[in-house]
Amino acid sequence: MKEHTDHQPILQAIGVTKRFGGLVAVGDLDLTIMPNQIASVIGPNGAGKTTFFNCVSGFYTPEEGEIRFLGHPIQGLRPDQVTARGIARTYQNIHLFKGMTVLENVLVGVHANLRSTPLGALLRLPINNQEEETALARAYELLEFVGLADVADILATNLPYGSQRRLEIARALASNPRLLLLDEPTAGMNPQETEDTMHFIRRLRDERDLTVLLIEHDMSVVMNISDQVTVLDYGRKISEGTPEYVQNDPLVIEAYLGTAADKVDVDLLAS
Amino acid sequence: MLQTRIRQFITSVREGISAGFISGILVIFLILLGIPINLRDIALFVILLVPVIFGVRLARRLHGRGLFHLLRNALVLGLVAALLAYLLMALINRWQEHGVNVTNYFPSVTTDTMTLLSGVPASELFPNPPRDPLTGQYPEGKPLRANPMRLTFDEKTGLEVLGVNVVIGGFYGFLLALIVTGVAGALLGWVFLAARAGQRWKAARAYLSTSPAAHNGVLLLPLAFFALLWLTVGHGLYNASKATYSVLDPVINLGGSAQEVQLLIGFGIILWGLVAVRAAQPNDKGLSYPARLGVCLALIALLIAVGLWRVMGSNIYFVATSRALRGSETLSVLILLAVGLLLVVQNARALRTPGRFEAQFASTQALLVVLLMPLFLNQGQNDVMTIVGINIMLGLGLNIVVGYAGLLDLGYVAFFALGAYAYAFLSSNQIKTGPDGQPAGLKFAGNDEMVIKLAGWIPITVIVTLLVVLVGVRWWQRRNADHRPWTYRPPLIRFPSHPSNGFATLLTVIAIALSVIVASALEGTALYERLFHSASPFVIGIIVGIIAGMLSGIMLGIPVLRLRGDYLAIVTLGFGEIIRLLFTNLRDYTGGPQGVLEIPRPLPAGATGPVGYLWMVYLVLLGVGIIAFFSTRLKQSRIGRAWSAMKSDEDIAQSMGINLVQTKLTAFAIGAAFAGLGGVLFAARQRNIYPNDFRLDVSIEVLSLVIIGGMGSIPGVIMGAIALIGVPEVLRELATYRILVFGALLVAMVILRPEGLLPAPTAQLRERARALVQSRYQAGGGD
Repeated sequence: MKEHTDHQPILQAIGVTKRFGGLVAVGDLDLTIMPNQIASVIGPNGAGKTTFFNCVSGFYTPEEGEIRFLGHPIQGLRPDQVTARGIARTYQNIHLFKGMTVLENVLVGVHANLRSTPLGALLRLPINNQEEETALARAYELLEFVGLADVADILATNLPYGSQRRLEIARALASNPRLLLLDEPTAGMNPQETEDTMHFIRRLRDERDLTVLLIEHDMSVVMNISDQVTVLDYGRKISEGTPEYVQNDPLVIEAYLGTAADKVDVDLLAS
Repeated sequence: MLQTRIRQFITSVREGISAGFISGILVIFLILLGIPINLRDIALFVILLVPVIFGVRLARRLHGRGLFHLLRNALVLGLVAALLAYLLMALINRWQEHGVNVTNYFPSVTTDTMTLLSGVPASELFPNPPRDPLTGQYPEGKPLRANPMRLTFDEKTGLEVLGVNVVIGGFYGFLLALIVTGVAGALLGWVFLAARAGQRWKAARAYLSTSPAAHNGVLLLPLAFFALLWLTVGHGLYNASKATYSVLDPVINLGGSAQEVQLLIGFGIILWGLVAVRAAQPNDKGLSYPARLGVCLALIALLIAVGLWRVMGSNIYFVATSRALRGSETLSVLILLAVGLLLVVQNARALRTPGRFEAQFASTQALLVVLLMPLFLNQGQNDVMTIVGINIMLGLGLNIVVGYAGLLDLGYVAFFALGAYAYAFLSSNQIKTGPDGQPAGLKFAGNDEMVIKLAGWIPITVIVTLLVVLVGVRWWQRRNADHRPWTYRPPLIRFPSHPSNGFATLLTVIAIALSVIVASALEGTALYERLFHSASPFVIGIIVGIIAGMLSGIMLGIPVLRLRGDYLAIVTLGFGEIIRLLFTNLRDYTGGPQGVLEIPRPLPAGATGPVGYLWMVYLVLLGVGIIAFFSTRLKQSRIGRAWSAMKSDEDIAQSMGINLVQTKLTAFAIGAAFAGLGGVLFAARQRNIYPNDFRLDVSIEVLSLVIIGGMGSIPGVIMGAIALIGVPEVLRELATYRILVFGALLVAMVILRPEGLLPAPTAQLRERARALVQSRYQAGGGD
């Protein structure tokens, strides 16, 4: 099987549609993300951003359309299979594993890259030991990367909020992904923390050769770091392009600010 | 005006009223439960303890509000509690007057309870004779039974408090006692607070946890408890010339309660062994390697010598007497020496690592002391240890399912039953005869053939399967040397690549088919007969029990994969009952409710005397050891972390790349395998098993001991088993209230200490990880 080249999109959504009963959460969405980019998905509340993330990461199966990762279809795979193929994600609300330490949380993230079986765990053959040590070292290196190495042994739920966010990213990175999905990474942060997170996301792309797809409400973040912005409204893509282009797109402005005559909706339906 | 004053008064005694109300309800509850049935002596004590506890609580709540305020509230507490008890008795009296037999409604309220509380002799208590329906009068000539609530000034029935006869006796005396104890409790609490006892206690604890002397003391406590046990045990002496036996008095003569106290000391040995191991710190006490090793070797030599003396001392009759088998004596000595040798080797290796001394010392000591303990206990005591051990095995198995993986399994007893019946089927000597005197239907005695067959088939299958898999996988790997699915992220360590699922299935089918062919071809040959005809049913039983447990665990696991929480609990509960009902109703195969009898114990050939029960206890100890070891290893592995993550949040765990199906089924299978092993040992211990041994209660008990001990914690499970199974076995009188105490303990634990008695410590991996990363940087030239 041929490895992908840099000109091939890393993630490609073709006509993805996800309905909940009569509600079209994501409708006929086309999206292309090139490798080593930071792409953002924005849109008002209920626009279908998180639903799209769930479709990509395997929690939902889209009714129509195709999602391709490195050129291979991934829709319909289970979340663990999607992770094994190289997509990791974080959550809008922090979901760390209770009762596990910071380091253990990251070790769970490495799971997809490990091969030891329960029998191997019982016997502790040299190859299993070697694997455990490598996993431990990688987890610790990741904690150093996100600056949490000093608190590696305390319970993850005892961390302050900002650190929990970073830990969640470290856990996602632990599976050695190609594509990282971040769901509102700066939610609930103060301006300084937001600034730090922006730098951190840039570092992810530059130092770890990652492609990042993020959902974000903070427009300063989106416009600052994105290479590509996609705007969703009512599950449909209404605009796509560079931050400058999107910022000046009248459709986007109207979606966010509304219009007096609600003319946009009519236009959208017509299109 | 009056209203306002009443309101003020109520406000000032509100605490007393609420405390009195709760304690009154509790007192009523205790009376209605019939707490005093078996334990007349401590019945009043238990009931009166309630207002004392509430009095102390009151003192704590009203701390700093003045003594007078406290006393007023305490008085109200006692009054309200007494009033409620009075109302209950009044109700009972009313009913009696109407000819109602109270015991019909409160079966536990016996004459004993009422006699105890009222001082009215049992013969005079309820029920009243029936009234004449026409006149509404009691029949003449028959004595009218007394009301329990009778004011007596009779000295004989007076309430004794601390040996002093309180003149006002009977029920009113009891009410008065409620009030007095409530006030006394409040005073006690006040004194306690005034003396700052809390701070002093804290200071003492802080001192204990920091002082090196106290720390060393904790490390040595298992040994101390063991010495204590030794001092309480009397040794028998055999006079060879006169051929008589005599028993020497122990140094500490415990008299009639020796049995129980010795058992409790035995539990203490186990518990302190656990505590000592946990308390061990990375500290070498400044000793060099030879010195460290020397200390540990001396310990091993000492304890092994004690064991040898116990086993083979010629004038000590215990294991090795003229009545016991000489062969088993040699065997015991060999086993002891082997254990000693293993420990020496292990210590010599482990002590090379700096900082291991304390841990090594504590664990060696705990292991040896626990191993020697059965030699100092008699048959009954060892039986208790065996049943505790079997429950520990069950607890450790359930701990994997519930504690590690968070899957609430209420049908756990099913796997236990399958293990027990597996061994029973293979080994029972029972022959059922029909009405005509001929063996009919169920016949277990002929199972030797089955044992031989299995003994042959199991190794043949294993060998054939291994060969097939080796050859098949090697062939596959050669053919697909460069095959790497595009999809998978490169693994951290490159394992030999696994064949695809389809190919694995094909291999399995081939392996099974080949095994059948090979086994059928070999069956009946001379070699086969010679190899397997003397196979032990116990060994085969263990293998079959474990496999039966595993398979049924997976079979239960598959349909419940999608269920969580309560739904999972209900389905598993049903599964447990189904298995029990199957064993009850498949009479032709299982003996039905009459069970399977005459299951032999796995003993060395010709063993008699104490060897019978000692062998059992050591088998159980071995089983517990193996299961605890496996549990630890599993927990600190990839699968253990996956369980833990799944317990915390299934969805997130799945998105971390954890295959939920595999992970859940593994937990079910391993937990069930442990239960199967426990079941085999249970059948061997009981010798007769009945479907009723495997009721829902067992599942609940095991679950309670896991929760009370500490979910996910191995020492916790051991402690829970001792607390919930061991202690009630010792205090037989209290056994009636076991379920009540379980419930109360569970509620208390969940509220006060939800992590359990001995919770699992959080993993401390940072230092190791840092060392690993550093060594990697050095090795890799810092890239």
